[in-house]
Amino acid sequence: MRRPPYEIVMKPYGTALVALARERSDIICLSGDLTRQTETDLFRDEIPDRFINVGMAEANMIGIAGGLARAGHTVFVNTFGVFCTRRCYDQVAMAVAYPNLDVKIVGFMPGLSSPGGPSHQAIDDIALMRALPNMMVVDLADATEISQAVRAVVERRGPVYLRLKRGEIPVVAEPSHRFSLAKAHVAKQGREACIVASGMMVPAALVAADVLEENGIATCVVNSPVIKPLDGATIVTAARGAGVVVTAENHSVIGGLGSAVSEALAEAGVGVPLRRIGVADVFAESGSREYLFDRYNLGVQNIVEAVWAAVAPKKPVPVAPAMPVTPGTYSPV
Amino acid sequence: MKNRARRRGKSPDDDRRGVAQASPSAPTSVGNLSKLATQIRLRAVHMVGIQGFGYLGQALSAAEIFASLYGGGLMRPGWDRFCLSPAHYAVVHYAAAAEVGRLDPEALKSYGANGTLLEAISTERTPLLDLTCGSLAQVISGAIGFALASRYAKDDRRVFAFLSDGEMEEGQTWEAAMFAAHHGLERLTVVIDANNSQVDGQVTSVTTLEPLADKWQAFGWRVSEVDGHDADALVAAMQSSGSERKPLVVIARTQILGRLKSVPMTADGHFLKLDPSLKQAIIEELEAQLA
Repeated sequence: MRRPPYEIVMKPYGTALVALARERSDIICLSGDLTRQTETDLFRDEIPDRFINVGMAEANMIGIAGGLARAGHTVFVNTFGVFCTRRCYDQVAMAVAYPNLDVKIVGFMPGLSSPGGPSHQAIDDIALMRALPNMMVVDLADATEISQAVRAVVERRGPVYLRLKRGEIPVVAEPSHRFSLAKAHVAKQGREACIVASGMMVPAALVAADVLEENGIATCVVNSPVIKPLDGATIVTAARGAGVVVTAENHSVIGGLGSAVSEALAEAGVGVPLRRIGVADVFAESGSREYLFDRYNLGVQNIVEAVWAAVAPKKPVPVAPAMPVTPGTYSPV
Repeated sequence: MKNRARRRGKSPDDDRRGVAQASPSAPTSVGNLSKLATQIRLRAVHMVGIQGFGYLGQALSAAEIFASLYGGGLMRPGWDRFCLSPAHYAVVHYAAAAEVGRLDPEALKSYGANGTLLEAISTERTPLLDLTCGSLAQVISGAIGFALASRYAKDDRRVFAFLSDGEMEEGQTWEAAMFAAHHGLERLTVVIDANNSQVDGQVTSVTTLEPLADKWQAFGWRVSEVDGHDADALVAAMQSSGSERKPLVVIARTQILGRLKSVPMTADGHFLKLDPSLKQAIIEELEAQLA
């Protein structure tokens, strides 16, 4: 995978969805008054007869999606992550997950990437969706993977929660990279420490691993976009023998990637210390991504320190290089 | 009419199931629908009587609605969709389905028992329903999904959704009502069992839903308000598929105890205790109606 600063692309999801819907007439696109924000203005403009704006009524939107799916459609539900999980949890459970329908729920603006404060910050969406039987959970923030994931989640029968970064999407993986719903991706090898990351924390994990490597700690990075069902085998293999496993997620440390990895390691009997980088069971506040990721310890330096404290506690902690924010590019905090 | 003709057509299951009473071959006669409703109540009393308590009020309340839906020539099985919103009404669904020959009457004995397919609160496993949900007020949205799917498929399927009145306290009902009217879903018909009963007592004692007809009208629906114990009126109200690009709601005014004289007015209609003497009294009253 590439290193920052990353090239940015706009609307990789919306573009891929339109392309797939041109092939598959069963696809219906629902929006909840957040059409441009969920990249589905492309669908609305290109395939208007299969686009429905349900308005600000998420409970109804999920139910409608269920009815359409029962009649044979594949339905994409698009809104912010908070509104398609927290706001209508019972509807997702009963109208989509329990009947195991082909509804793909796409939640934008993950974790602390929203400046909108706790009402807009999906810090618990993965935990909520992960708890539902039949529901697959995917966390992505890379244009290369997003472009491929749209087809992959349609080909996987049943409900999927697809959690996507909003707005400027970095190109992290090489064009030759093949996205998989079945296998986690070992983005970098290393035996002394293991970082498992998803979504917006993948770039930070890559930079942190480089910093650690330069300071003598061979560190592997597992990019695990699919949080449920977790590819425990790949993670266990990567973690076995390491001095520490650090999970990195733009989500509460409760119920998300960190929890899933802990369960996989414990059940496999891998007795490696584990540290979870994520939102520390608090509601955050308004602010820019840079401000919030720094304030709530979701930065490169936080990952470096978590690894360092476990494997080389007596030596001075390396300092990650500053990540200059240049217009038109993307870098982790 | 096409749907009636199909209703009269004998299904391969009819002989096996030994349909004797209220056969769907004469679905529109008022006398027979009224009799069908009484037979539905009787079936329900026997089903609930096994355990001595259960959702009998739902069957007493909605017997005519189910008689008209299942025996009134309105729905083409396997084509039109039927969505049962309040899953606690499963009892009247089973009883009615058995009476019209779509369910083995023997199976009714397992109602509510461990391991049965005939669960007391209907689920994804429940036979013969296109949609149901024990968490109330969700089904109307799914019914809208069916109606949209029919529009995409350019077919003539109607979608019937049975609702109860108490669940209209949930906001989702009104999200859905707005949407269906905005999109002119004329193939969607909602029938509401307005029996003024919910778990904590009379709906009017909990909150104010009225004026129901005005509310639905204001939301953009065609509204018909009928005596919910008059099966003929119910069929007439539900017969007309919309022509003005509006969904139809039929408010069926009912009494939770089905106007039975043998049940004390103080009984809890939502979850009725049915001791042997009360059971016997109800059976006698219903059998007298059939005589």
